[in-house]
Amino acid sequence: MAYEPKEKNPPNWKGDFPIRQDEATHVTRREFAKFLCLLSGGLALGNGYVVLSSFAYPDKELEGEHLVCNTSEVPVGGMTMFAIKGTKEIPYILIHLAEGEWRAFEQKCTHLSCAVVYRDEVKKIECPCHNGWFSADTGEVLQGPPPRALPQLSVVVRNEKVYVTAFKDTIS
Amino acid sequence: MSSFRVTQNQSHPNKTNTLMLGIIMLLIGILSIQIWLLYSALNNALDENQDLAIAAFIGSLLLFFTGLWLLKYLPDARGRFLKKELSENKYK
Repeated sequence: MAYEPKEKNPPNWKGDFPIRQDEATHVTRREFAKFLCLLSGGLALGNGYVVLSSFAYPDKELEGEHLVCNTSEVPVGGMTMFAIKGTKEIPYILIHLAEGEWRAFEQKCTHLSCAVVYRDEVKKIECPCHNGWFSADTGEVLQGPPPRALPQLSVVVRNEKVYVTAFKDTIS
Repeated sequence: MSSFRVTQNQSHPNKTNTLMLGIIMLLIGILSIQIWLLYSALNNALDENQDLAIAAFIGSLLLFFTGLWLLKYLPDARGRFLKKELSENKYK
């Protein structure tokens, strides 16, 4: 029995995904299903890579103290940007919250790595790309799409100079 | 001579279509869950929560094997089946 299509002029999508292999000029549905499965294998591998890289290359903690600037360079309510020279250069922001109160955070938003800025009028850190807001005190997410708090550094002021070190959580 | 499979196909002409659509939809569902798992694993690994990354990897792997197993039920290519039938009939 010869195969006869029901419709004389089938729509384009039916022509693109025919059941018969010899009618397939682009891709059959069987091939499409196999491709989806291949993609699924790729995603499983990607997930494996995330696990491997998080175990094999854990983030190194910052070692020692690093000079940022003189205290007179950043007024109260002001902010400055800096980077620590090393193998991986990460941009940071230094905020002069109040007299004698300094905070240092990574400048990359935890959502899509946009540069965050300190807004003194609301005393919060803003990510202008997608309206994300962080606490200027702890770096925690207050509002918007960022999934994690901003990574923080400890600030030490000595002899009118501002230094940063790895963040030590004083509560835990 | 007609076999069980030929009669089945003649009485339910849409069966292959439904089966194909079902399998493709399930595979797309599996892919969506895997994308969500990968996103969660990345976010949590960045937050140094590696346990979730391992769980997501195992889940993703299981979903992949489910997808592979589903391929077993892909309807046979109609053209190949018909050709086989024709070549069998040639000698009768």
